[in-house]
Amino acid sequence: MLRKSLGNLPRVGQLCGLPRRLQSTQPEQKEPEDIAVIEQRILKHPDYFQVHNLFTVRDLFNARVHYGHKEGSLDDRMRPYLFGSRLGHLIFDLDKTASHLRDALNFAAHIAFRDGIILFFNRNALNAHLVEQKAQEAGEFSHTRFWRGGIFTNANVQFDAVTRLPDLCIFLNTQNNVMAQHTAVRDAAKMAIPTIGIVDTNCNPNLITYPVPGNDDSPAAVELYCDLFKEAILRGKRERRQLLGLPPLDETLPRRSRKPKK
Amino acid sequence: MAQSRLEKIGTIFTRVQGLLRGGAMRSEDKPIWYDVYAAFPPKAEPRFDRPAPEIPVRNIFYAEDVVRAKLHKQNRPQETINLLDHRRTTQSQHFVKIYQDLKSQGALDEQRIYDTALDLLAEQRQQSRLDTAAAEENLPELDAEVKTQLVSDFKEAASNQQITSSTSPAPSKARKDTGVGINIDSLFKD
Repeated sequence: MLRKSLGNLPRVGQLCGLPRRLQSTQPEQKEPEDIAVIEQRILKHPDYFQVHNLFTVRDLFNARVHYGHKEGSLDDRMRPYLFGSRLGHLIFDLDKTASHLRDALNFAAHIAFRDGIILFFNRNALNAHLVEQKAQEAGEFSHTRFWRGGIFTNANVQFDAVTRLPDLCIFLNTQNNVMAQHTAVRDAAKMAIPTIGIVDTNCNPNLITYPVPGNDDSPAAVELYCDLFKEAILRGKRERRQLLGLPPLDETLPRRSRKPKK
Repeated sequence: MAQSRLEKIGTIFTRVQGLLRGGAMRSEDKPIWYDVYAAFPPKAEPRFDRPAPEIPVRNIFYAEDVVRAKLHKQNRPQETINLLDHRRTTQSQHFVKIYQDLKSQGALDEQRIYDTALDLLAEQRQQSRLDTAAAEENLPELDAEVKTQLVSDFKEAASNQQITSSTSPAPSKARKDTGVGINIDSLFKD
């Protein structure tokens, strides 16, 4: 109820503001200030984008999110997220996974609402195309190939221009194809970019801002994560456009049409 | 952006917070995630040096594991299982169910229950096999026809091949025409 009334308030203002703007150009000044106020206000809501209803623990189970690797490859920092070991195979506690995933989805939706750039990562060749496709559908970016060092840390030289780095990195697996962590995890931490990462039992969750413990190998699980993040991002974007009184997002268009920030 | 790149010290939030507090970063330049992070901090601080907790990994076992282990030790499982098929029960699931039914009746001792359950399982499997066989027999003769056709096709193809190989390099067109069931030309018509 509270949410509804809060959500409706600026929309009414927009509707009233629209005809006036057609007559005179003066009240245009009001809008940028307005969005900052809205941004602060929706932060007070614990789950403004209703990401809790995107999935259930049963969905996670059906997508095989609970399967970890074998006991020998366990990273000790993943111990708190485990349910146990079934004959040598580690099993995640899906209740913990669900609460971490909801935090991550909420964060992603807020970043999308604030018009942030979101970059998906994945180094698993099996899922690379899926991730690229879903990122495109969400109107965001993906990087599923070899990571050349310095893309973040030396961006202005490498791209020969002042570069805007992403505002959020989403790692669908945090390892690269050898047994080491993806370099971009470290680089994102260096450049003060928050990260969301699916961490399997053999990964190190420490540098990931919002780690989500879960299986990062099965295509079914990766597809579920991609769909959830895509939906959360789209919810953030839709809400932004609605509050700003812009025409709704054309989701059939795969490409991102971004206007430069003023 | 003016900032510390030492990712091993503090977290991204504390580093940006320090810059803002010290005035190295103006408050209008602060990254867009900063307020979101402040409002929804992660459950554990993302510090590089966060120590690993010493939580033992517990083993997951079920009460029926004892009898299941016994079953698998004495009878090597030989069935093929389709992991995507959630409706069909496997042999060992079937066995455990029978075993538990018998045990809940509570008249026999463990070994007797085990033996009886094995017998019952064999009996029921035999029954279901008969049922499926009967169901297959009742099906129209299509299967048999297809089979004979396939066999005859192979025979025909083999004889054709023999003819063509014996009668020197015959034009390939002839083989295609006399050929086996499928006409390749018709497949790629449009």
